[in-house]
Amino acid sequence: MSTAAVRRETDSAVGLLVFMGATAMLFAALLLAYAILRAQAPAWPPPGAPPFPRAAAGLNTLLLVAASLALRRWRAAAAALGVGFLAGQVVLWRHLIAIGLGPAGGHAALLGQIFLALSALHALHVAGGLVALALGGGKLRLIAMYWDFVLVVWVVLYAAVCWV
Amino acid sequence: MHIVLPRDVSLDGHLVDGAIGYLTIATGIAFVAALGVFLAALVLHRARAGRTWGQHTHGNRARDRALTFAIALILFVAVDVTLAVRATRELEGRFWRYPDHDPAALRVEVTARQWAWSFRTAGPDGRFGTPDDVVTLNELDVPVGRPVYLKLRSRDVVHSLYLPSYRFKIDAIPGSTTRAWFQAVEAGRTEVGCAQHCGVGHTRMRGWLVARDQADYQGWLARAETDSRLRFDPAAGSAADAWDWETGL
Amino acid sequence: MDTETGPLPAAPTGFWRRYVFSTDHKVIGRQFLFLGLGFLAVGGIMAMLIRWQLARPGDPVPVVGRLFFHSAGGVISPPAYTALFTMHGTIMIFFAVTPILIGGFGNFLLPLLIGARDMAFPRLNMASYWTMAAATGVLCASFFVPLGPPQAGWTAYATLSTALGAPGVGQTLWVIAIYLNGASSVMGAVNYITTVLRLRAPGMTYLRLPLTVWGLFLTSILNALFVPVLGAAMVLLLFDRLFGTQFFTAGTTPGAGGDPILYQHLFWLFGHPEVYILILPAWGIVGDLLSFFARKPAFGYRVTVGALVGVVVLSAVVYGHHMFTTGLSPLLGESFMVLTMIISVPTALLVLNWLGTLWRGAIRFSVPMLFCLGMVFTFGVGGLTGLYLADVVADMYLHDTYFVVGHFHLIMAAALLLSLFAAVYFWYPKMFGRMLGERLGRWHFWLTFVPLNLVFMGQLVIGLEGMQRRLYDPSVYEAWRRLAPLNRSISHAAYLLGAAQLLFVWNFFVSLRRGRTAPANPWEVGTLEWSVPSPPPHHNFDTIPVVVRGPHELADPAARPLGRDWLSQTEVLDEPAPGLPVPRGRS
Repeated sequence: MSTAAVRRETDSAVGLLVFMGATAMLFAALLLAYAILRAQAPAWPPPGAPPFPRAAAGLNTLLLVAASLALRRWRAAAAALGVGFLAGQVVLWRHLIAIGLGPAGGHAALLGQIFLALSALHALHVAGGLVALALGGGKLRLIAMYWDFVLVVWVVLYAAVCWV
Repeated sequence: MHIVLPRDVSLDGHLVDGAIGYLTIATGIAFVAALGVFLAALVLHRARAGRTWGQHTHGNRARDRALTFAIALILFVAVDVTLAVRATRELEGRFWRYPDHDPAALRVEVTARQWAWSFRTAGPDGRFGTPDDVVTLNELDVPVGRPVYLKLRSRDVVHSLYLPSYRFKIDAIPGSTTRAWFQAVEAGRTEVGCAQHCGVGHTRMRGWLVARDQADYQGWLARAETDSRLRFDPAAGSAADAWDWETGL
Repeated sequence: MDTETGPLPAAPTGFWRRYVFSTDHKVIGRQFLFLGLGFLAVGGIMAMLIRWQLARPGDPVPVVGRLFFHSAGGVISPPAYTALFTMHGTIMIFFAVTPILIGGFGNFLLPLLIGARDMAFPRLNMASYWTMAAATGVLCASFFVPLGPPQAGWTAYATLSTALGAPGVGQTLWVIAIYLNGASSVMGAVNYITTVLRLRAPGMTYLRLPLTVWGLFLTSILNALFVPVLGAAMVLLLFDRLFGTQFFTAGTTPGAGGDPILYQHLFWLFGHPEVYILILPAWGIVGDLLSFFARKPAFGYRVTVGALVGVVVLSAVVYGHHMFTTGLSPLLGESFMVLTMIISVPTALLVLNWLGTLWRGAIRFSVPMLFCLGMVFTFGVGGLTGLYLADVVADMYLHDTYFVVGHFHLIMAAALLLSLFAAVYFWYPKMFGRMLGERLGRWHFWLTFVPLNLVFMGQLVIGLEGMQRRLYDPSVYEAWRRLAPLNRSISHAAYLLGAAQLLFVWNFFVSLRRGRTAPANPWEVGTLEWSVPSPPPHHNFDTIPVVVRGPHELADPAARPLGRDWLSQTEVLDEPAPGLPVPRGRS
């Protein structure tokens, strides 16, 4: 690569880092909201709520991990796994709403509701990563950086909702 | 210009007026001093024949820095630190020392809704949610010389109970209970308002605080209790506004 | 930071590429400027209408009343009034000051001031503008939906802003518009930060950056960090409104469900840094301009930069002072009070350095300087009145009164507006190649400065006397009836202020065609944008400049042999004249 091209890639990396910092703040603020709501609840999870389907969410987590791992070698497989993650999320959301952990579940469903908000916003960022992969051409290093970031965000969300 | 605050009729309102007074004097002195330097510079150091060049200094010498830091520090201590110390003392000693264990305190449950205030006192049995509760709409009657202990809730949006003549306001928030206390030192009617934008009827969310001398208050209370007993209806929606004072904060 | 190589980028030719979907930072900057000035006018007209209602509650609005409030016979109804103050605040903060100062001047100036050919990401820059434009479209659409525009105030406190208090579509559109506006700001921030970090010309060290660049850079950092927090609040609010979740709604009984105060925490965790997001570019601009027109280097440049950084660091930990009356725990209340007061130290250093810059200068009272001096005055009053509200005891009485309105308008409206005008008068020649009319400019200054202070200081007085904000009709309160004459006087000053802006509009548009042709460097200063023609060519710099000194080298004895009192940032001097000190490379 010419020096100009190297420089432009570094510029892009810096820009991406700033963007990831901003995105991290978005999710941090949502997690803060979750923490405050949870701390104020007399009991957690709220009494009367069905248990959260941790295993299904865990399965989706594996898909996203696999997508990140595959990205540097097999882009098509990574894209397929990313789409699979999104599909898995949609299934999970429908399931949550069906078992009463959706908006209709009232205050008892607060855990499901906050998960829906967090994961919907996260899904948008995954979708953005897929678009970047489709259009991004040769900027694989940057795209991989972003995918890893989205994965880390997801793991933190998943752990916060399911395991903490 | 002559600025007139509403007449202070509370026990501790003078502390608020004192803080405002101190602030006005302290910031006034700082402002006038700064303005003096500012105007002097504009007059003395304006460009004119014989003064086409400014002084070549970056103000980075130790002396320059020491001067700016010293002035900033003096201001900080004279205004901010003094105020913070004073405010902390007054908050902890007066405003946030709630009369939880004062048997003389009049306890009032305040429920805010779009766009009215209701005030509930426990009546002779000392318990809330019983037929002898005295509930008034947009009027709070209190005795002079006794602490009045308010706890507030809201049925819909955030409101803020504002008593200008008592120099305080406190929000009423759906889903939580807030509190405040005050004491009247002279009898009379003063206005009660809402200070937090609560929708199109915000302006209309206004009422009266009536401070009565002890004898007057007892007479009013007796009449109000009789009324309340006659009107009591456990099925009415407003009956649900009462909450258990001891456990419900 | 190596020099740009390769051929110069060619200017686009077609109309669309050149003026509409341009990636040139100078064009995008002007787009933002025009959009912001347009909304400034809209927000200003709304302020006049609010003042009309406060001066003559319930009287039909003359001239335009029939047009805007047809169904009510020209009278401003309570819903119309709530919508007016909601939209006035929203528009002024998010759609006027933000696009003008950050989008407009930020875009136009950053590359020019640091010696770059464009922003780091020109296409992202264009996307940022069009996202902002989309946000304005969504916001304006709220005027035409059933139940009308949003009415929950610019702060949109839950639960008034949830379906419970605001069932109409207007509030939902407001949420979306704010989210899009934030997205635009974050795109801008990514671009500005990268540009300052990566595209500075050789020799343009951090301590040689003009203060304007420092202001914009720090603003961008705050934007990147805290606008997403507002985004989070908007996402949760949108879920509550669209899907019926209950993050911000609660039952009457404590403990059940969501928390309206959580919204306030998220909102002010963004909202207080937002104040600094808006004022930091203004501080930077005023810091530079005071030096330029005092013909003297900025006093204590490094301390000023340190103070700006200090404000940025503190900005996130003081927000609780907006919530003193919500029953914060004593520990939180006292902590926020003390932290808020600490922020007065860097602010005091900033103002002292401004005074130090003026002292022993050779002050030229050009129009931009008049506006800067006006800004220093109003910022002083606005800043000091902030102390009243930092004090929890005084705030119990003053919170949510007109004192708060007067205080933040002195900073957010008066100081910002004055620095914004200073920037327009100063950089207009560079932007459009013409000078703004000097005489009209002076009239504009005095007719803005005097009424501005009358309006907002009048509001301080009304607030001290106890009147709350956001009242449709203050005369409902017996206690505020005696304030009616003062309220009317404030309104008259406000009309004068509004009318005076016509001078500016006239001056702005007439000068575009008939203004005196601007020389490359009309103000005789040394920052990089004045080393290129007015307006600059598409690629800004024929060769990337090499910077050898700071931005404020005025009254330097080394300039004397050149017959002027300023040195450009790029000027390489020959041998220093005998007997003169060797100019140091750093400022």
